[in-house]
Amino acid sequence: MLFDTTQLALERSISGAAQRQEALAANLANADTPGYQRVDVDFHGALAAAMGSADPRSAVAQTTFATQADGSVGAVRADGSTVDVDAESAKLAANALEQESAVQVLHARLGILKSAMGVS
Amino acid sequence: MSLFGGIEISASALTAQRLRMDVTAENLANAQTTRGANGQPYRRKEVVLQEVQRGGFGAQLTAAIGTGSGRPGGVEAAGVVEDQTQGKLVYDPGNPYANAQGYVRMPNVDTVTEMVDLIDSSRAYEANVTAMQASKQMFTKTLDLLR
Repeated sequence: MLFDTTQLALERSISGAAQRQEALAANLANADTPGYQRVDVDFHGALAAAMGSADPRSAVAQTTFATQADGSVGAVRADGSTVDVDAESAKLAANALEQESAVQVLHARLGILKSAMGVS
Repeated sequence: MSLFGGIEISASALTAQRLRMDVTAENLANAQTTRGANGQPYRRKEVVLQEVQRGGFGAQLTAAIGTGSGRPGGVEAAGVVEDQTQGKLVYDPGNPYANAQGYVRMPNVDTVTEMVDLIDSSRAYEANVTAMQASKQMFTKTLDLLR
């Protein structure tokens, strides 16, 4: 068992952040689309549920994420679009940082494995 | 998972916003056009955007390997529609197109509205370029794992 649950969770969270990036990019792209409803990916929630299950290792490894319409935000524009460009930009920046931090931690853990194996 | 999904989505938005800018420029250029090809004053045009439902190879692959559901596809222009409101009448008896009372029907182009639209599409373009850069940076960071 080379990769532990944390390693798998980091890998899944990078994948989730990539999927969320797509969703947020689509929201920004559709900022001027009449009646558009914003979408989002709750990969934190999906991973937290997997970590809390009876067999976290396999649950985390099999976690997939759903891009879903976000009904919690009302229309912010006269044309019925629920996209707030400022909020989306902020979420986009935060998501990129989350992804980067997951990559950094994964990188550090891979470095530990490598040094244990004696490869540099 | 489509590796460059985010970039493709932002690219579709850049195309759509550029079309909006082109149409706004045409409206501004024709703000004084009292006779179009159909003999009527120019009518301002507007781009209607719509969401793209993802199809094709990417959607099939995503469904087949089960990596995430409901992936978005971006934006596209649904069409260019004409604004059917009437332009204002201007008193200009010397104009060859003036009516019996000396009034000329002007295009329904309001330069202030067009300038606001232009700023809107320009800012939207910038926002999507920023999103594209963020996507690119994310892929680069992930590739750094191999180093």
